[in-house]
Amino acid sequence: MSSEVATRRPRNPRGTPAGGRRPRGDSARGRLAVYGVLALLSVPFLFPTWWMVTSSLKPAGEIFAFPPSLLPDSPRLDAYQRVFEVQPFAAQYLNSMYIALVVTLGTLAVSSLAGYAFARIRFPGQNALFLVVLVGLLIPSEVTIVPLFQMFNEWGMIDTHWPLILVPILGAPSVLATLIMRQFFIAIPHELEEAGRLDGLGRFALYWRIAMPLARPALGAVAIFTFLHSWNLYLEPIVFLSTPENFTLPQALTHFVDAYGGPMWDVQLAAASMTALPVLVFFIAMQRQFVEGLAHTGLKG
Amino acid sequence: MSSPRGGHRFWTGRRREVLAGYLFVAPQLIGSLVFVLLPLGLVFWYSLHEWNVLAGTFEFTGLDNYDALLNDPALPGVLAATGVFSVGLVVFNLSLALWLALMLNRRLAGTTFFRTVFFSPVVVSLVAWTIVWRFLLQENGGVNGLLDLVGMTGPNWLRGEGTAMLSVIVVQVFKNVGLNMVLFLAALQGVPRELYEAATVDGAGRWRRFRSITVPMISPTILLTSIITVVGSLQVFAQIDVLTSGGPGTSTTVLVYYLYQQAFQFHHFGYGATLSVLLFAIVFVLTFVQWQLRKKWVFHEQ
Amino acid sequence: MRPSMSTPLAAATLAGLLTLTACGGSGSGGDPDGPVSLRVAVWTANDAHLALFDEIADAYIAEHPRVEKITFDPLPFDGYTTALTTQIAGGNAPDLAWIFESSAPDFVSSGALVPLDEVLTETEGYAFDDLLPATTELWSEDGRLFAYPFSTSPFAVFANLDLLAEAGVPTPAEMRGAGEWTWEEVISAASTVAGETGASGMVIRDFDYTGWDYLATLWTGWDARAWDESSVCGFDRPEMVEAMGFLHEAVFEHGALPGPGTSADFFAGEAAYTVTQISRASLLEEAGFAWDLLPLPAGPAGEYAVIGQAGLGVLRVGDHPDIAADFLAHFTAPENSAELAQYFPPPRASQLTAETLASSNPLLTEEQLRETVVAGTVSGVVKPSHLGQEQIAQTVRAQLDALWRPDADVPAVLGDVCGAVQPLLDR
Repeated sequence: MSSEVATRRPRNPRGTPAGGRRPRGDSARGRLAVYGVLALLSVPFLFPTWWMVTSSLKPAGEIFAFPPSLLPDSPRLDAYQRVFEVQPFAAQYLNSMYIALVVTLGTLAVSSLAGYAFARIRFPGQNALFLVVLVGLLIPSEVTIVPLFQMFNEWGMIDTHWPLILVPILGAPSVLATLIMRQFFIAIPHELEEAGRLDGLGRFALYWRIAMPLARPALGAVAIFTFLHSWNLYLEPIVFLSTPENFTLPQALTHFVDAYGGPMWDVQLAAASMTALPVLVFFIAMQRQFVEGLAHTGLKG
Repeated sequence: MSSPRGGHRFWTGRRREVLAGYLFVAPQLIGSLVFVLLPLGLVFWYSLHEWNVLAGTFEFTGLDNYDALLNDPALPGVLAATGVFSVGLVVFNLSLALWLALMLNRRLAGTTFFRTVFFSPVVVSLVAWTIVWRFLLQENGGVNGLLDLVGMTGPNWLRGEGTAMLSVIVVQVFKNVGLNMVLFLAALQGVPRELYEAATVDGAGRWRRFRSITVPMISPTILLTSIITVVGSLQVFAQIDVLTSGGPGTSTTVLVYYLYQQAFQFHHFGYGATLSVLLFAIVFVLTFVQWQLRKKWVFHEQ
Repeated sequence: MRPSMSTPLAAATLAGLLTLTACGGSGSGGDPDGPVSLRVAVWTANDAHLALFDEIADAYIAEHPRVEKITFDPLPFDGYTTALTTQIAGGNAPDLAWIFESSAPDFVSSGALVPLDEVLTETEGYAFDDLLPATTELWSEDGRLFAYPFSTSPFAVFANLDLLAEAGVPTPAEMRGAGEWTWEEVISAASTVAGETGASGMVIRDFDYTGWDYLATLWTGWDARAWDESSVCGFDRPEMVEAMGFLHEAVFEHGALPGPGTSADFFAGEAAYTVTQISRASLLEEAGFAWDLLPLPAGPAGEYAVIGQAGLGVLRVGDHPDIAADFLAHFTAPENSAELAQYFPPPRASQLTAETLASSNPLLTEEQLRETVVAGTVSGVVKPSHLGQEQIAQTVRAQLDALWRPDADVPAVLGDVCGAVQPLLDR
């Protein structure tokens, strides 16, 4: 794997960067300019999160102070309490959480099995079936949202979480995962499986005991992609769900209004902060594995 | 799964192998049939009908919906908005991602920090991110507040026809550029150093090295990220819904948003299905074209 | 690669099609004498409202042993109609539902609702004739009533007296006394407040430069209308051009209203005046400022009133429409209507008196109620609505966006509105 990301690779002895973008004798002034540009560019990436968290601690009237204040005058947590009064936010949080986890585990199972079979087992019709599956890559779920709505309607699954679980695991969104897994399994050396076969392992055991442990980086990348995809779903929940107890977080975030449709800005921002921060903190703690996992997808070409 | 050593004569090694293959792909295959191909067929079927939810009627109307599609006065604007959004997003996203990757690939101290910064919006909930930007882009919001600090007066971002589209694009780029950046960074790592060294010895300048070595060597990644970004750009919905609701006018009403309005707000399910057919045709053609172009400009294939 | 695959695939798809397109409600009525539970879709999540509803429902359950449970199910205010229709389409329809006045024509003429007049007239002690015709008109078709106008809430002006004093502007009461309670004068006062205090002047709540139907609270004062009874667009009429020109000037020249994309909340003390329904008075319980409530200012065409309405209807696709209708008759009978009056102005002539209303509206004085609610309900114009409302609303919104910029050509934009919306009105 030549796909480690920049900062981890040790410098080579001559100090020439791998990309060779830095000519000999890169000046201190040049370096300073790069830092300056990067720092300036960081603002739109950092400021929104900063503003979201600090504003959620301000009373509604102070949020629109112009120009905006960087810190709240007198921070207060009222909005965080009201989040749970206005909506069944805890239930909604749980909904998003369990749906994303189930979808992630389900996708890992389905796509690793299919990816493994397409990569390492020979069976009649293999190529044709692979093409059938690949059609999913071509079809954004937005294309099929109307018939999917009517199918789930027919099955009595409107306003339940089934559409948000079944479609991502089995439908178009998992096809990319299968493709990633297939690319990864293809690269596993034959000798490893031969050894297992001599030990009398069957196909499932070969998959489970030999191929899967080797596939951890790819599984990690698929898990990240899938979790974020499910966590961010918006069109599907607003189409399929109508009762607040069943809502997922993205959908709930747009519904912080009082009984007459008046906006509740501070409460909405508190809810947004609670939605965004845990995942963000988790990412920062795990960022090395995270970013490198993505680089391992085999998608780099 | 069955025991490793077969019991039945019938289950020879080859047969077991074939059965395992079918069983392994079965969930994915059945899923594809039920949740991809069946609805795709149904989209065509529904596009030949009119379904009234409130009255509970479902009538075959032949090609009426397609006739309506061709005569829909709103459609040219919708397609134009879709095109502007997709082109703007792909160009801005890919060039910023590549530029950031090149900067971070210079291996200066602290690049891990910047990498984390640029990647972090990828993991922030999309709707939370967009809601925050809706506040920031108000006329009396944070963006104009920052501009004010440097003595500039910002426009009313989300209410001007040009600036609204620009805002939606830029918000989306900041959200996801980190993903492409990481993929580019990984690709840049794979470029053999010797090529640059040889080129430098031959007297090639920075731009020349970039054009003749970097771009060809990472062209498969450029192709891949561009396909993902183009297809993704056609799916933009939450950002439009939260930031502009398709306005001002219909300047940010892209195809998916229009489809949602027609089907789920105006309850023209049949016409919504017709718009789905159009969206499918567009995605199909674009992917096909990109795949063909690959032969022309992608340097090598693995 | 292998074309042979496509044939069985097409067959499978077709088989799926055939089984799935047998569309329609699967309304199995269940046991004709079995226990019944009813679900009522509402858009309020207010605890006090829901507690009152439950109390009325419990009394009904006590008298009707077959009815086991009645739940009031709050759907989000934002996107309420979309959620409701999605539930109906999904075969998960509530038995009863609140309906916004804007979707009244769609619901009334689609046949989705059960006619109520027979049940109501036959219910003992209901006094059906007590319902004011002005309130039931929107919910009737061909002489039949399809929903009960359970809340008829006039639009009024709330004023923040503290901000007015700070800007040195006369109070609304003083202005009324001097015969100056007109849009002209109110906008000029609002402009003064905006200039003097840094707060906003006038906020037409819920308009926010997208919910244009709320502007009926202004243009009715010019005798303008969005469209007339025969569905002819009225945006390009001289009255409308004048009214919208006035508004445009108020926003962009006098700064009397916060501009597009700027937020100001009257109830958080950020604006001097707001136009909204009187039911919002409950938001002022903890207001940190002195306030007053007045009828809408007079326009060039004189004094006028605009009302917003909500209907309560029984859905035909529910399992027990007859029992649901019977419950509706109980829920809205005179004694319960009097209870509901503290939050929802009743459509009953006998209860629409300042005295009755004042006894249940501690925040408002009898005089305020008489002038806004009582007079408004009897004479008020209902906000515009039409068949295919959602699409019409979006179309008008998109065209009007061109108006909300300083250099807009008001008559030209309004002409465009009619050009775009007339085909939809003609459908």
